[in-house]
Amino acid sequence: MNLHDHDELDRLYALFKEQAEAISALVYRVTDPSAAGKKLREIINQLAVNKLVAVPSPLVNSCLNNAGAQTAAVHTTNLRNYAPEADLGLSEVDLAVAETGTLVQDSTAPEQRLVSTLPPVHVALVQTGRLVHYLSDAIDLFNTNKDTSSLPGYISFISGPSRTADIERVLTIGVHGPEKLYVIFVDRAGGACVE
Amino acid sequence: MNRRGDIKRDIKEALGNKNLRGALTRFGEAYLESRARAYAGKDFNALREEICAIKRNAADKMEDLAQRFTRAAEARGTKVFRAATAQEAREYIANLARQKNVRQIVKSKSMASEEIHLNEHLHQLGLETVETDLGEWILQLSGQKPSHMVMPAIHMTRGEVAQVFSKEVREQLPPDIPKLVKVARQNLRRKFLEAQMGITGANIAVAETGTIVIVTNEGNGRLTTTLPPLHVAVVGLEKLVEKFSDIKPILEALPRSATAQKITSYVSMITGPTPVAYPDGTTGDKELHIVLLDNGRTQMQADPVFKEALQCIRCASCLNVCPVFQIVGGHVYGYVYTGGIGTVLTAFLNGWQNASEIQNLCLGCERCKLYCPGKIDLPRLIRELRRRTGEKAGAPSISSQVMAKVLPNRRLFHSLLRAAGIAQKPFQRGGMVRHLPLFLAGLTEGRSLPAIVSKPLRDRVAQTPKTSQIVGDNQRQGVRVGFFAGCLVDFVYPRIGEAVKELLTSAGIEMVFPMEQTCCGVPALYTGLAHTAAEAARQNITAFEHAGVDRIVTACPTCAQAIKRYPEILAGEPEWHQRATTMANQVEHVTGYLHGVFQRLAGARLKKARGTTVTYHDSCHMKGCLGLTLEPRELLGLAGYNLVELECSDRCCGFGGSYSIKFPQLSRQILDNKLDTVAGAEVGTLALDCPGCLLQISGGLTSRGSAVTVKHTVELLDL
Repeated sequence: MNLHDHDELDRLYALFKEQAEAISALVYRVTDPSAAGKKLREIINQLAVNKLVAVPSPLVNSCLNNAGAQTAAVHTTNLRNYAPEADLGLSEVDLAVAETGTLVQDSTAPEQRLVSTLPPVHVALVQTGRLVHYLSDAIDLFNTNKDTSSLPGYISFISGPSRTADIERVLTIGVHGPEKLYVIFVDRAGGACVE
Repeated sequence: MNRRGDIKRDIKEALGNKNLRGALTRFGEAYLESRARAYAGKDFNALREEICAIKRNAADKMEDLAQRFTRAAEARGTKVFRAATAQEAREYIANLARQKNVRQIVKSKSMASEEIHLNEHLHQLGLETVETDLGEWILQLSGQKPSHMVMPAIHMTRGEVAQVFSKEVREQLPPDIPKLVKVARQNLRRKFLEAQMGITGANIAVAETGTIVIVTNEGNGRLTTTLPPLHVAVVGLEKLVEKFSDIKPILEALPRSATAQKITSYVSMITGPTPVAYPDGTTGDKELHIVLLDNGRTQMQADPVFKEALQCIRCASCLNVCPVFQIVGGHVYGYVYTGGIGTVLTAFLNGWQNASEIQNLCLGCERCKLYCPGKIDLPRLIRELRRRTGEKAGAPSISSQVMAKVLPNRRLFHSLLRAAGIAQKPFQRGGMVRHLPLFLAGLTEGRSLPAIVSKPLRDRVAQTPKTSQIVGDNQRQGVRVGFFAGCLVDFVYPRIGEAVKELLTSAGIEMVFPMEQTCCGVPALYTGLAHTAAEAARQNITAFEHAGVDRIVTACPTCAQAIKRYPEILAGEPEWHQRATTMANQVEHVTGYLHGVFQRLAGARLKKARGTTVTYHDSCHMKGCLGLTLEPRELLGLAGYNLVELECSDRCCGFGGSYSIKFPQLSRQILDNKLDTVAGAEVGTLALDCPGCLLQISGGLTSRGSAVTVKHTVELLDL
């Protein structure tokens, strides 16, 4: 689903990239799941990832299929057991907020939180059409007003990797959550998904 | 428990802690700039209007919202417990732990749980409770208390942290921050995976949906709410808001004001329990318990004045901009909540008597008020705290007894000041004194002060002939302006009043000096002597009514803001309130007034002082209360001065009237910081608009042997 026209999306993507990179996220944009798979393979090779945990979704699945990362063991079930030892977590998020470089996800399923918090690296896939401009736009999308029972049990807003400044106010990346956050925007998520 | 010790000793200790002061000062400097960057593109004032309306509405309906929250949360499967007291909250959580066979607990940062001393209680029951926020963990391991609401371990160095961690992991660790953070990650990770219960606080609780919002950076909040099968959130009633959409402005302001971030790494909105995943591959139902904590909040809500404190979103910006906090840090405040807002919260949550000493730490600079995203008038709350403490305490100090007797009697007060002018003669050296009489005595400690003049302004203005020069073709005849001198201009710096008179006269404006005017009442107001302040207000109102002027100017911003507060001071007396409102509307700081005059008098030209370089100090009440920052700069520019901006020009000089008597070392330290920046500006003249700052800064410069002269803006202008 596209919320905007093309030019608007380009502007929002540029703003997201600028804002997210300012808080130490790494941001990429690819055309389709095949290219997303290639990007993922690069990351896996570069970081020498042995064990990968992923929460299945059509986009995640086709990205994994296209990654062809034979070197890494991939787990998509029993994530509570595998995530603590995994080198990388992969998941799809629902929205991206341009003004703050924030990812938004219905993470009522605990697996969504496990893969994006426990491993030292989180790779988030997001459909480019799911960019919104303001943080308040994202909150409005959840704010149905009429039917509060439809509010997800756990909504996560993720902006950059985990950070602390608790010792001498020196910014240090990677405390309890990931020390690296990759965001891959996929323009045509429903496109070709075979290699 | 936790009764605070001796505040003077704590202050001395804090002043001796160079790490703390270094960290807090660096932070204070960086904070303002990075905060401004974080707010770029946002309208802070519009945002805080919105937050203020939301929180005020929530405070009005606190009980209703608590009930709606409970219903909505329960409809989603959350268990809600209403705890009236800290003890009830502690016992509920302890019982729950017992029932569920909990042995290990992980906690993410929660001020409410600190407030109820939850850890101590659970520890006594043999439960392992681990703080997982890095700063909190450091403090837990070293047996210390948080010194800041957002950055709890800001007072510790990496070396100290390395020692603490080395002891915990039984390995000698280097003072290397990334390495220390890794050690925390590894050690706490195990705790997260093993714990049977996770305890958090919440930053916002939404009544219509039963949602709690948790704002964190490290990711410990996510792990605490995800891994253990049991989640307990301790939530103060003041966190309630009515609607889900109310989250928006609070979430915009909280990270920007707290840590100068546009948003924190993680924000979690939790509505009802979510499933929990077990290591064996099964999933189960999680339990979510929310403890809605009252513990003094209803009492606060019922109080017409202090209800305002419930608008706090706990960003701690009032600490970050506080000149006192920047020097002493949080431990001096003795309790969980520190700084300005902590002073008020301590009175309600920890007992009135416990706040009686720390409320005196407030300088009255009013800076916090400008930055509060909840739009709380914190200085007013602290004044009210002092007033009520004064009423409750019964036996005021000797200096306030003297003040209560002397101040309302203008003749006595002024003749004492005149007598002082004579009596101090033997102590004078180059126009400065080492000793002042009565309640001004403490002012001279460690500082050279100007002498009380033998001929006050009131005697001088009476003698000058009333001729008016008319500037150019601007016929301003008939304009009469009353001059409110205030004690310092009248008795210490009459030269400022004379400069005002000269400028006004040159502009064709007649300056009237009502002889019956007295002290503006600020010393009484800040000491909690409400009746004395009210009497001073009545005398001044009467004096200026008799003078028949329609505009009143003063060269002292503190006097100006005091007069603007006369309606508040006389709120209980309808007739006086009306007259006070008239006077409050008439009063203006002379620099602001002159700025307006020069805009109107297009033909008037200030005489040029070519080539002279000056720097400018923004006095707290000048900028913070009266909003005058551009006006003095533009006037100095019109007069041909070359203005060099002073580093942190709006940082308090530490005078604060009687403050420098109560906390001389503190005042001295704040002054020293100011003097350092003045020296750094490398100019010959410092301009400012407050006789109090003039007294403090020039005294400091003289005792340092500095050649910089300090002048009131009006002394630098010539028509």
